Amino acid sequence: MNALLLSPELFLREGGIARIMRLYLKALCEIAGTDGRIDSLVLNDEPGPEPRLARYTNGQLGEHIGCDRSKLGFIRHTLRLARRTDVVVCAHLHLLPIVWLACKLYPNLKYHLVAHGIEVWRPYTFLERRALLGAERILCVSEYTRRQMLRFCPALPLRRLIVLPNTLDPYFAPDLNDQTSKAPLGTPRILTVGRLSSDDTYKGFDTLIEAMPLIRQEYPAARLRIVGMGNDQPRLAALAARLGMTDAVDFTGAISDEALRAEYAACDLFALASRKEGFGLVFLEAMTYGKPCIGIRAGGAPEVVNDSVGQLVDYGNLTDLAAAVTDLMRHPRDSGVVRRHADTFAFTSFRHRLAAALT
Amino acid sequence: MRMVRRQAHRGPDSQGIYSDNDVTLGMCRLAIIDLPNGQQPMSTPDGRFTIVFNGAIYNYRELQAEFAATGWLFRTTSDTEVLLAAYARLGAKCLSRLRGMFTFVVWDAREHTLFAARGPMGIKPFYYARLSHSGLAFASEINGLLASGSVQGEIDPASVGEYLAWSSVPAPRTIYRGIAALPPGHCLTVDAGGRLRIQASWHLPAPVQAEHSAGNYGDFIRGLRHQLEDTIRAQSVADVPVGAFLSGGMDSTAVVGLMARGSGQRLKTFSLVFDEAEFSEQASARLAAETFHTEHHEELLTGTRVAADLPRILTTYDQPTGDGINTYYASQLARQGGVKVALSGLGGDELFGGYPSFRDLPFLQRLLPLWRLLPASIRTAAVARLRAQPSVRARKLADFLAHARDLHELSSLQRRVLPEAVRLSLLSPEARAQAGRLGPNHPMLDDFVFELIGADPFQIISAWELRTYMTDVLLRDSDVFSMVHSLELRVPFVDRVLIEWLWPQPHAFKYDPRHSKQALADATTDLVPAAIRQRRKQGFALPFARWMLTELKPFLDETFSRSSLAACPWLDPQEAGRLWHNYATQGDSRAWSRVWTLAMLIAFANRRPGS
Repeated sequence: MNALLLSPELFLREGGIARIMRLYLKALCEIAGTDGRIDSLVLNDEPGPEPRLARYTNGQLGEHIGCDRSKLGFIRHTLRLARRTDVVVCAHLHLLPIVWLACKLYPNLKYHLVAHGIEVWRPYTFLERRALLGAERILCVSEYTRRQMLRFCPALPLRRLIVLPNTLDPYFAPDLNDQTSKAPLGTPRILTVGRLSSDDTYKGFDTLIEAMPLIRQEYPAARLRIVGMGNDQPRLAALAARLGMTDAVDFTGAISDEALRAEYAACDLFALASRKEGFGLVFLEAMTYGKPCIGIRAGGAPEVVNDSVGQLVDYGNLTDLAAAVTDLMRHPRDSGVVRRHADTFAFTSFRHRLAAALT
Repeated sequence: MRMVRRQAHRGPDSQGIYSDNDVTLGMCRLAIIDLPNGQQPMSTPDGRFTIVFNGAIYNYRELQAEFAATGWLFRTTSDTEVLLAAYARLGAKCLSRLRGMFTFVVWDAREHTLFAARGPMGIKPFYYARLSHSGLAFASEINGLLASGSVQGEIDPASVGEYLAWSSVPAPRTIYRGIAALPPGHCLTVDAGGRLRIQASWHLPAPVQAEHSAGNYGDFIRGLRHQLEDTIRAQSVADVPVGAFLSGGMDSTAVVGLMARGSGQRLKTFSLVFDEAEFSEQASARLAAETFHTEHHEELLTGTRVAADLPRILTTYDQPTGDGINTYYASQLARQGGVKVALSGLGGDELFGGYPSFRDLPFLQRLLPLWRLLPASIRTAAVARLRAQPSVRARKLADFLAHARDLHELSSLQRRVLPEAVRLSLLSPEARAQAGRLGPNHPMLDDFVFELIGADPFQIISAWELRTYMTDVLLRDSDVFSMVHSLELRVPFVDRVLIEWLWPQPHAFKYDPRHSKQALADATTDLVPAAIRQRRKQGFALPFARWMLTELKPFLDETFSRSSLAACPWLDPQEAGRLWHNYATQGDSRAWSRVWTLAMLIAFANRRPGS
């Protein structure tokens, strides 16, 4: 199989889409076969060698090109590489019209879209609609995303929409050498991870902070560890201060993979209070450490978090959020069960399912 | 026992308690079927299952025969025992066999599990609260839960924001923090470990079912007539007198006509009339009553009377509502008129396209893609300009253009009472932050959207009307305000079997944009007088806009006073006072519902429950 993977980013920043698309690259290289070739074209990444690339590729990798945000360059390379490609896997709806254009030039070309979350939960432009209707498969990270696509494009044939849940990076698996965070102890220590952007307030970090006074009524030593950075941090810090929770909320900023592992290892439970997660990869990361999870009954989170590994609450419901913490502390989930649940999203199954979807 | 006593109006005929080491179930019964023998809580002979049940199972006789044939020995002829047998035999699968309005709870003493279910459309309510150490308290009215003493009645600022948007608090929220409503068509289980699980037990049928669709309009109308007769027959089952509300509109006249046709006895019907001629449907109701030879009861409702009764009415609320006063008086009239059960035409507008939304929203939907083609700066400026207009319609259009992306969101937003900008301005900073976080759309948007994949525009609008305004406002108010008079109000249009038959029928048969509710008129053309079939829709409305400036003005002045607003920390008192002041001085009659909705919230916060 000769395939071309088009991504907005792979290594430039640590976003959810970048992380999962690295695994698409790895899976494509592994299923390409000895005669196959996988090309990778990335819109925003910088050109030049990328030390982490070797982790996610093998000898089947052909060209890997970072376009350094040049859209013109990205289009030019797409049209050039598409000529020698059987299949294009497109990581973002924004890039799909370019693939559709390539398909006009090379009618035998088949293309697939990976549909993640909010980027496809909206009405589509004329061009996007045309491009979607031409896709061979749309690989939705969750049933929720699949349904949203049907909502906004009812003409999409059902058989073309496949749910292919995200997977966990094998390199992120817990290691016996993992250090435990040296952060101040707290009981419980609640961990949350994500981008603190003022454009993404739906992520619900503020609700977690607002729930802390309620949580501290039951657990006076409770701590909230917020991992991630962004321009919303000053507002969130001010909110914590206004609630008198400055000493209960830690902002770690951006941290290394090793430090993140340490945070997962040290926390008592993981919480992501986001209303609009297509999947919620961070839940999987926490679960590989056997940590129970609190998610929101919205988006794709209910497809990852269930009663046996955690609890779901309604978005913005502070009382239920605090009650969920209490419940998980009083009735701890079996960490073995939590890990086994994470294993159902293992990379090997993901690779098999991707191979089946592409054939 | 305190909880049972607080809800005694719901069932004054008998009270009962079941208690073991794990659970206590209480019940106050309104005896409708098998009067001497249907006492609750009721247990199976082996003592394993015990049930408390609110509502009526209309097909209980068919089910009783079926279970009796397989060896179940019935001790009564009550629908409660049939429901108990159905659950004991089939477990949760029994829900798909039930035709009725219900919530029920079954305690399984052997497995130490609790099962609760609420009927498909949520005609009967179910409220619950988690207690410490995995406990659960539940009741049919929130006032009953509060009477337990284990649940705090603290108003939730986030719910206040929801109430101002929808004129009620949509499930699963309630106006109180920590008290939840089980959504319609859902069931709840508590396992032996105290773990609570909620899941949907009923969905609207598949939108297209070629094998069940009528081939032509004639077949459709014959089928509809058969279904309507079947529904009325089923819902007339009772061992006590059954009457009907008769507003004089198409829906209630059709219900009364079908009841009169199938009944050997003279039917009792009930209407409210007003001095204000433009609101009174007295002539139509009398015409219908004469046509069907009913024993017709009328009652004149005046603003003076409403003003005098309001303090008492407010004590019956368990959540604020901007509607429902009409049902309060109609139910009182029916109970005083000697019936214990009444049928209502509620639901006809939702099923047969009786609201303007069925005509307007598809048009707006076609405009949305063109609107999105405009540059963002122009769109922002246009929305700001519309929001600055005093007209309610302009501000509603602003909400549509700013927040709606498809027909679902249009359908959701069109039922809002207060435009988003006005709603947010009325809230305190804390409540405003929470309202902003939840957004302007209905909280169940995703659930309803996914239930309707593949649905046509008529089905989408119909479903939204059924699932939001009808369920959250009309049915909730109907339950509270009928049960306060110990009247069982039945709604034959909101019948699972009828809805499941009607749903996949071609929309062109169900709805004619030129003639409101043509299908219903055609199916009852031999019953409903032509003068009523051809009348324009009037609705079951009260002349509030006028009363608020006259007889109800002292009540509203007091409600919006500084001392009353002091009990509402989740409101901006200045903005709230300004809303009333502008209405009182400028008299924009179209704004009455917004002011009344807010007034009911403030009055609710100031009431003395149980007084």
